[in-house]
Amino acid sequence: MIEIVRQKAGELLNQGKIKGFIAPSRENGHVAPRLFTRVEELSTLNLGDSSSEGDARYPLDKILITLHRKYPDDCFGILVRGCDQRGLYTLYRLNQLNPDRVIEVGIACSPGLAKACECLKPFPDDAVAGDPVAPEGQKAVEMVEDMDMAGRFEFWMDQFSKCVKCYGCRDICPMCFCNECSLECKDLVSKGDLPVDIPVFHLVRAMHMADRCIDCGLCEEACPSDIPLRTLYKKTGRIMDEEFGFTSGINKHEKSPLSIMGPAPDKKGP
Amino acid sequence: MDYQNILTTCTYCGCGCNFFLEVLDGELTGTIPCKTSPVNEGKLCIKGWNVHEFVQSDKRLKRPMIRKNGNLEEVSWDEALDYTAARLKTVKAEKGSDAVGFFASAKVTCEENYLMQKFARAAVGTNSVDHCARL
Amino acid sequence: MTNGVAELEHSDVIFIIGSNTATSHPLVATRIFRAIENGAKVIVADPRKNQIADFADQYIRHKPGTDVALLNGMMKVILDNGLHDQAFIDANTESFEGVKAVLEHLDLDASAATCGVPVEQIEQIAKDFGSADKASIVYCMGITQHTNGVNNVKSLANLAMLTGNIGRASTGVNPLRGQNNVQGACDMGGLPNVYTGYQPVTLGAANKKFAQAWDVDELPSGIGLTIPEMFSKIESDDLHALWIMGENPVVSDPDANHVEKALEKVDLLIVQDIFLTPTAKLADVVLPGASFAEKDGTFVNTERRVTRVRKAIEPVGDSKPDWEIIQEVSTRFGYAMAYESPGEIFEEIARLTPSYTGISYERLEGEGIQWPCPSEDHPGTPFLHRDGKFTRGKGLFHAIEYQPPAEVVDEEYPFWLTTGRVYAHYHTGTMTRNSESLDFEVSQGFLEIHPDDAKALLVNDGEPIQIASRRGEITTRIMVTERVEPGVVFMPFHFEESNINKLTNPAYDPIAKIPELKVCAVKLFKAAS
Repeated sequence: MIEIVRQKAGELLNQGKIKGFIAPSRENGHVAPRLFTRVEELSTLNLGDSSSEGDARYPLDKILITLHRKYPDDCFGILVRGCDQRGLYTLYRLNQLNPDRVIEVGIACSPGLAKACECLKPFPDDAVAGDPVAPEGQKAVEMVEDMDMAGRFEFWMDQFSKCVKCYGCRDICPMCFCNECSLECKDLVSKGDLPVDIPVFHLVRAMHMADRCIDCGLCEEACPSDIPLRTLYKKTGRIMDEEFGFTSGINKHEKSPLSIMGPAPDKKGP
Repeated sequence: MDYQNILTTCTYCGCGCNFFLEVLDGELTGTIPCKTSPVNEGKLCIKGWNVHEFVQSDKRLKRPMIRKNGNLEEVSWDEALDYTAARLKTVKAEKGSDAVGFFASAKVTCEENYLMQKFARAAVGTNSVDHCARL
Repeated sequence: MTNGVAELEHSDVIFIIGSNTATSHPLVATRIFRAIENGAKVIVADPRKNQIADFADQYIRHKPGTDVALLNGMMKVILDNGLHDQAFIDANTESFEGVKAVLEHLDLDASAATCGVPVEQIEQIAKDFGSADKASIVYCMGITQHTNGVNNVKSLANLAMLTGNIGRASTGVNPLRGQNNVQGACDMGGLPNVYTGYQPVTLGAANKKFAQAWDVDELPSGIGLTIPEMFSKIESDDLHALWIMGENPVVSDPDANHVEKALEKVDLLIVQDIFLTPTAKLADVVLPGASFAEKDGTFVNTERRVTRVRKAIEPVGDSKPDWEIIQEVSTRFGYAMAYESPGEIFEEIARLTPSYTGISYERLEGEGIQWPCPSEDHPGTPFLHRDGKFTRGKGLFHAIEYQPPAEVVDEEYPFWLTTGRVYAHYHTGTMTRNSESLDFEVSQGFLEIHPDDAKALLVNDGEPIQIASRRGEITTRIMVTERVEPGVVFMPFHFEESNINKLTNPAYDPIAKIPELKVCAVKLFKAAS
């Protein structure tokens, strides 16, 4: 699989179609996110796997935003799994990236990783490598849904009270690009103390992820308190699906039901 | 265009978390925790996530200074280094080696601490070197 | 730490004393949260109910400065109930009889009264700790920053040895080091009594070895001055020049007014730093160092893990890496140094330091190495004293009796003051307060006070208050919270404009010379708003 990705990235660089290719790389005995700008560097390319598949995935989409903001006219290649591609589709929708400036090189996740992640689409459209496998269900969400309301509330309050307010869930999130963040709005979330303002802090974030979360799981992996954030946002996503039939990033051109601004269509606006 | 992620170790508490400093065209743009670090496994605290901010603060000291007529004035490195060495030499000559004291630092690298105590002991000739281990 | 951080996940009992782990060492707290998930019991003892205490099976609120009373009480219960590990004691330790004698004569009720903890609670935690297969002790400056700090630490060592909780994975005596490279600074001989790797300056062989390696005829063999002693020697006209690299004693040290006077008095003050700190403002020469992001080198973390620091950007302005500055001064002073890189310095360190012999930059790629690492094929040492084989031979028990803090509350100064950190800031704030995001989180100092005390003083949450000790006085705002009990107040020390270290007590431990930052007596009164 990795050879196919190297070859594809090499072609894109050789043909001058991209300025650089964003993918993980083996460096200093670790796996690091990297911008490959020359073909000969591609020997260290990695798929985000260190001791097991997908255990060293990084927010590649977020790096692409950083590069796109400074070099909007340049085209970049990027390694995408299903989640990364949902991220790109969402960022195209939110006008944070220009799809004409991005070339995706997609790989499908193995059955093992698909099972661990329980995401809704463990493969991108047009994967160049890997065999797409069907989604694995959502046991983590169902475990919480099986609790009664009081039990659920207690479970989440216990989890939230471990929060050390690192903002890592936001900082690692490829979908968090806002210049002004609601989590820093004093009228919404009180600041200056630990434990964090609960449950407000986490619920404010969950609300804001409702039509954005692409279920990549990087937030949960970045949480120093092991709060099951991925499960929380999966549940939010489920509600979006049930209420609006919308899943963030699944369809490239689909608009979010939450993006309708201004007065309802039957009234005349100013 | 030059985008790099440089693996390093945090400068705050003793956990010793590893992260990448994101560098775009010679400027720090962010911090990404290292997932394969045995210490922090891809996690950081609020201080770690923002560690790139203070580095490029406007308030960083940029030039050496010497107190002249009561005020600290910017000088060249040559002047500052010559002045420092000469004054230390005078104190040693007039008051003895043990009239000089050194604060090594829990904030700088091992190599730098090593050099500081080597200078104190081998060059100045005093064991009066300590740091804020107790604070 | 005798043991590695990750080992905590697999402990059966974790006893945390004098550590606000979730705030000051969040990535150690990660492992404690995981241990709880794995079924571990957690005991937290701290005069202030910090965040991790909310997750403890037992939270002990003992009075500031009464750790020995609590620990001796625990050990008496363990001994009386036969929960001690006699086989471990017999095989691996010495001088147990002295401790036994102290504990046999100890009046548990009196100890309980001293530390303000019910006897039943002491019994409970003693039994939990004593019956665990793998028990870890975690502590921080709440244990050490006392005039009897050394005795506190020795008491914890006694507790670990008494129950055989040392020399195995997921046990041990584990101080959390507060600064990124405090371990490294100690390892490198940044102390008045030792060269690298704790080789004593007073030992003839070590002295000779370093003199030869450093190409000098002789090296001083008498123990040098500690920081508090240097300040005293400035006052007595015995110390005339001071070179401070990367420290800010005006804010970090106790009795700040006194420190400031000493620094003003010294004939030559050289300060090397990355910001113009309150300490640097007093200097005769200010040398701008490069930050960690602008140079290569190594740091050593709290579990003795040596890892690489790598240069990400060029030094800001004309600043220079500290090693280059020292080297240039040394050469101009007449002692030539010509290292090409930090890597070359590290090779010299490894050559001269038995516990670092097997470490090289090449081997530090990847996960780093926990010293001791005596040879190039040695994997490093995750935990010390394996199988009860102590570095000194036998583990030494110390018979210790409770002593009160140097300053206790009285009618004039009726409140106990204790100090510490907040989650968004670090030490004297030199770095974090110059970080926009962190300064946004917490932008000013505050005094935590119990609702009953606030009410009695007629001060509301957020209003200003004056705090005074025998050494100084400051004004800040209050935060009303039940995290502290009545009669105890807490203040973070990150804020130079409301510098609580103007009030703290410089009295120090006679052995470690560590000041009693964690306890002093203060009075409070409503300030004009």
